[in-house]
Amino acid sequence: MSENMNNSTLRRDPRREWILRNRLHPQHSEIATEDSSSDVLHEWMGPQGIKRKAPHNIGFIGPNGIRRIDRSGTQQAGSASRKEIAQQPSRRSHQIQHPQQYILVVADMTGGRLSAQDKDILGLAHQLAAKKAETAVMLVVFGEHKEAAFAEAGVDRLLHIEGEAFDGFSPDLRLAWLTAIERELHPDYWLFPDSGLGGGDLGRRLAVELDVHAATGLWQVNLKEQPISCVCRAAASTQDLTRELPRVILALSECAEPISDSLHAVQEFNLVRQPLDQLPRIQDLGAVAVDPASVSLAEAEFILSGGNGIRDWDGFHQTAEILGATEGASRVAVDDGYMPRDRQVGATGTWVTARVYMAVGISGAIQHLQGIQSCDKVICINTDAGCDMVKRADLALIGDSTEILAAVRRKVSELKQEKRHVA
Amino acid sequence: MSLNQATRVAVLLSIGQHPVTARARRADQDARALELALQLNHADVIPLHVGQLNEHNEAALRSYLGMGISQIKLIGNSDILLGLEQGVRESQANIVLCGSRAETGEGSGLVPYLLAKKLGWPIVSGLVSIEKLDQGSATLLQALPRGQRRKLKVSLPAVLAVDPAAAVARQSAFGPAQRGAITPQKLSSIEAVSGAEVKHNSALHSFLWQFQPAKKRPKRLKIIKATSARDRFKAAAAKADASGGKVLQGVSADDAANEIIKLLLEESVLNLDGHL
Amino acid sequence: MLNQILPLLIFGALLLAVVGGVRRIRLWRNGRPSDVPIMAGLAALPRRYLVDLHHVVARDKYISNTHVATGGGFVAAAILAILVHGLQLNSQILAWALLAATTSMFVGALFVAKRRVQPPERLSKGPWMRLPKSLLAFSIGFFLVTLPVTGLVPAVLGAWVLALILSVLIIWGLGEMFFGMTWGGPMKHAFAGALHLAFHRRAERFNGGRSTGLKPLHFDDQQQPLGVEKPSEFTWNQLLGFDACVQCGRCEAMCPAFAAGQPLNPKKLIQDMVVGLAGGSDAAYAGSPYPGKPLGEHQGGPFASIIAREGQGLLDAETLWSCTTCRACVEECPMMIEHVDAIVDMRRHLTLERGQTPNKGAEVIDNLIATDNPNGFNPASRMNWAADLALPVLSDVKRTDVLLWMGDGAFDMRNQRSLRALVKILRAAKVDFAVLGNEERDSGDVARRLGDEATFQSLAKRNITTLAQYSFRSIVTCDPHSFHVLKNEYSDFGGQYVVYHHSTFINHLRQTGKLNFAPYKGGSVTYHDPCYLGRYNGEYDAPRDLLAAAGIQVIEMERSGFRSRCCGGGGGAPITDIPGKQRIPDMRMEDIKQTGAEIVAVGCPQCTAMLEGVVDPRPEVLDIAEIIAKQLVEAEEAA
Ligand SMILES: Cc1cc2nc3c(=O)[nH]c(=O)nc-3n(C[C@H](O)[C@H](O)[C@H](O)COP(=O)(O)OP(=O)(O)OC[C@H]3O[C@@H](n4cnc5c(N)ncnc54)[C@H](O)[C@@H]3O)c2cc1C
Ligand code: SF4
Ligand code: SF4
Repeated sequence: MSENMNNSTLRRDPRREWILRNRLHPQHSEIATEDSSSDVLHEWMGPQGIKRKAPHNIGFIGPNGIRRIDRSGTQQAGSASRKEIAQQPSRRSHQIQHPQQYILVVADMTGGRLSAQDKDILGLAHQLAAKKAETAVMLVVFGEHKEAAFAEAGVDRLLHIEGEAFDGFSPDLRLAWLTAIERELHPDYWLFPDSGLGGGDLGRRLAVELDVHAATGLWQVNLKEQPISCVCRAAASTQDLTRELPRVILALSECAEPISDSLHAVQEFNLVRQPLDQLPRIQDLGAVAVDPASVSLAEAEFILSGGNGIRDWDGFHQTAEILGATEGASRVAVDDGYMPRDRQVGATGTWVTARVYMAVGISGAIQHLQGIQSCDKVICINTDAGCDMVKRADLALIGDSTEILAAVRRKVSELKQEKRHVA
Repeated sequence: MSLNQATRVAVLLSIGQHPVTARARRADQDARALELALQLNHADVIPLHVGQLNEHNEAALRSYLGMGISQIKLIGNSDILLGLEQGVRESQANIVLCGSRAETGEGSGLVPYLLAKKLGWPIVSGLVSIEKLDQGSATLLQALPRGQRRKLKVSLPAVLAVDPAAAVARQSAFGPAQRGAITPQKLSSIEAVSGAEVKHNSALHSFLWQFQPAKKRPKRLKIIKATSARDRFKAAAAKADASGGKVLQGVSADDAANEIIKLLLEESVLNLDGHL
Repeated sequence: MLNQILPLLIFGALLLAVVGGVRRIRLWRNGRPSDVPIMAGLAALPRRYLVDLHHVVARDKYISNTHVATGGGFVAAAILAILVHGLQLNSQILAWALLAATTSMFVGALFVAKRRVQPPERLSKGPWMRLPKSLLAFSIGFFLVTLPVTGLVPAVLGAWVLALILSVLIIWGLGEMFFGMTWGGPMKHAFAGALHLAFHRRAERFNGGRSTGLKPLHFDDQQQPLGVEKPSEFTWNQLLGFDACVQCGRCEAMCPAFAAGQPLNPKKLIQDMVVGLAGGSDAAYAGSPYPGKPLGEHQGGPFASIIAREGQGLLDAETLWSCTTCRACVEECPMMIEHVDAIVDMRRHLTLERGQTPNKGAEVIDNLIATDNPNGFNPASRMNWAADLALPVLSDVKRTDVLLWMGDGAFDMRNQRSLRALVKILRAAKVDFAVLGNEERDSGDVARRLGDEATFQSLAKRNITTLAQYSFRSIVTCDPHSFHVLKNEYSDFGGQYVVYHHSTFINHLRQTGKLNFAPYKGGSVTYHDPCYLGRYNGEYDAPRDLLAAAGIQVIEMERSGFRSRCCGGGGGAPITDIPGKQRIPDMRMEDIKQTGAEIVAVGCPQCTAMLEGVVDPRPEVLDIAEIIAKQLVEAEEAA
């Protein structure tokens, strides 16, 4: 270790030091363990030679995602094993040499990568494939992508259809391709994620084209039954419909476990007969720029909301911008003129459904809490640990809003810069 | 006569169901579709409902009338799809506006697609607003996730299915709701319910379809693939559900920030590719 | 000379007054019919004027004395002048009486003039500034012309100049007092006011009675409009009532919405209705405008929409939706004008005909229709709060002594604490009580005040049907809004009940020795009167008695009792949420803070919510039931 230190005094590596300081950096554990004498990550030597501790790295993550600390003395082993899990090397190889039939999955590929839902659907595809020998799961990808882990996600065959048209909304063209695939392969099943405009739209188009009464909002498949049955959300999710499993399936996320222990061939596949070009009846004129901060509150996925405990409103707005969050406010912040009226969250404002709601300097009056009832995760920054917002929050930071928001801005900028360097 | 005046918009109205009490009401998305139609300048709005009029659904239908339309055309005694197709054809509409999903029954969201196919028209779903009507085409805004929007141009006639993010329907007023008419329509070609049409009728499926109140879906557990028996045991023994959140007191601002960022990344709402 | 023109002048003015009166009456008759008894009303007029109206006027001693002198003097002087100068009855006695009357009027007019030197904000200016001078002109003029008749001074007044001056005074006086009375001058209030008292739409208010329930719409009557769109859709006696306004501005001074800078001023509202009934614009109005709304931009007529569908009408809808229906204006109005009825009538049109209930209004109404409660909670979970209390439910027990009406507060965690406290008290007093449980629905209060009479009646009728299945002696509730509706508004639909507010009921339990209290050791307490308990139902004493019995000395706020300032929570105002300069509950909290009390006792879930919505630091807000429950001791312990 002293060698290391000498080394670093001789040849400083600022990037490395930065990573060492930054526990959120993806490479942090790698570099930190290189330096330390053990591979346990709860203690390491900082760049200045000061011992740094990461109390959060002690213990292991329980099945519910909660950290458990084992006081029995095998702490280190626990930690170590967790690391192994993270980089599990040994996946069983899954090869289908001569597929007799196919199951087709059309992924959303949000942002060019398989979405979590896509992976669940691939998992479901493999459950179905396992019912019949020599069934290959084929993934259809339209347009460019950045995905590198098709093998891990369960893609036996990959049908990659390229073309600029797929950058935008091109349902007619996509449907033409899918019908061409249908003609050539006649797959056992077609699987789509039942998501807004991706699979949700395309899947219904195909179902209607193939004259199949698709299963929509599917969330469970009973493979043991004969014929295979499935459970779908019906009547605006107020009912479950149990029905036979049709050939075209539009499934919800978590309909099945994603593939986790096998590696697949990702063999490229090409259609023999490609569809003819046709004149599209729907023309994509491009995205309309909407500033995340001004997205309607009801639609926002991530809201940064400020209340009477905000001292630095400029800082608040900057934070929202850096985080790409939509701005919200308590009524007091609105009354005091810091925020416009359409940003008010709560009983007399907007009822929001954000996945993450971050309440800064908001005490959590009942009328405010009413408005965030259906938010998934609530983060709260408040000086008062006893306030109701802290009780509602999944993560509560007790401290001054100005300081913590400033720190968030700093850290996120650093991470972004870092990401740029890497890229 | 300007071209816009020729626009005829058929709006498909179904009976909705309140999510909590299951009482009949105007269906939220259908009402939004009607709202979009009512906001078009120089468009004739033709509201259509396929079904019977009875005391159970009259109030719900009337609450569409309460939005300020004078009548709803009622197409009774028919297969829904066939009724809609005929209704749309006979109304000579060149735009069909409808909700994306029904609030009762299967609510599969297939109907707009089936109808578009029958009519041979293009369909756009996820509609939030109609920006412009030109000769033979319409410029639309479509909802993307996270409140983003995309502009599309679609050739008319077309079926447009409204997104839940479209403008909220106006309030339904009691007076016009009571005075408005629900007029049964005699359609010339309705009796021809051919075998092919019946295929979508669930009763004919070999498997009996069963509806039950929606079950709560189990929350997915974070799977631990622990290598040692001890870890597996611990994972299994750990309590299944978290109670209360995590409260961090007396931590530095930096640590607090790290915690926040960690959660944001876990929930994948923070995009580090964004601008600095 | 003067002798010849005087009768001409008097009868000329009288004639013009009659013509004006007929015209005015025809304007009122543009309104819809009303079934007030005409003869009985006229017969009751003197008493209503002398007793009931004076009772309200007398709250301001200065103006009531002034009014007796001026008004009394004028009425006497007018009659006598007609006899003496009009009909030329040469009677010394009459002449002396006329002198006395004009003197009284003169003295009164001086006080009126004094009031007008630096008039308070709430008073209207304009023609009203002229009134004291007109009064003086009338009294001086007639005093002087009467002097010769008494023989005190010789009839030297033939002198032309003097006669001319006198004629001017008399013409001025007659013009204002006779002609102006029916042609829209300030004296109109005497003419319209008298008739308004005779044909008041709430005759029950006279003789110390109370009438606060809203009047129902009859949906089976196809002729009846759903609320009021145009001035002519008010009933004729409502229009007459508006015309009676003296622009004293007492309503304005009491209105919480006006004070909060919301675009409402009850006085201006009534004056706008007068503009509407006669036609014209509000440019001539000489009082405080609606905050933030300049004068001269609005206009209307008897058959024009009050709230224009496009452009400017007589009013903006915001004005109507700012009202909390607190009735402070009605309580204060010396002319006993019914502002709240008018506001709700106009709201009914907006909601029932146009579907324009602002902000969360539409959502609340939809929830009431679909879930029977304003926040859209599952109606099957109304009893969840009491899962551990094992409350008897009427569908099981069928009969009980006391039906505990829970109200929508049953869904609200804060109010559940008050409900629990109330249950504890009832149990301590061994009261035989039960609840409707999940069968209870919203009382319809909010729907009705948002103008949705249809939803109100639907809720009311269904509640009445439910209640009819069971047997109970009385209803007790801790929600004054439910209390008011059950007690005063369900009777129009066949629901007659004995209803108590919990403070009244607990006080009764105490009086009959069923409760014992430990000595009070808590902080100092002030009490906030809920509008729907106080002004609507006259219950000011029970809460105070009860607190006193528990050993608590209530520090009164300056505005308490019938002058209590609204918390801002009534009439759906928190739902329509019209912006102002400040919030009503913040102002009320200031009132509370001024007493220095550490606790404010309330008796209404809505008040609790509004006052607790004021940001810290502020006094603690506790329901009376909570305070009392804490003071309870078991009987043995106390002994
Ligand atoms: C009918 C009605 C309807 C209402 N509707 C709504 C509504 O729709 N939406 C709504 O929001 N409110 C509504 N309210 C108001 C609500 O009751 C509260 O008054 C309001 O939400 C409080 O806002 P706040 O939390 O920002 O302010 P406060 O209650 O003052 O809370 C400020 C918080 O900031 C914390 N703080 C102070 N300084 C700092 C610091 N430097 N760093 C970090 N934290 C700090 C404090 O500890 C406190 O918890 C309504 C009220 C009523 C009566
Ligand atoms: S009822 Fe109250 S809020 Fe409404 S006008 Fe009268 S005083 Fe103002
Ligand atoms: S309405 Fe009544 S209180 Fe208000 S100004 Fe007129 S007379 Fe006075």
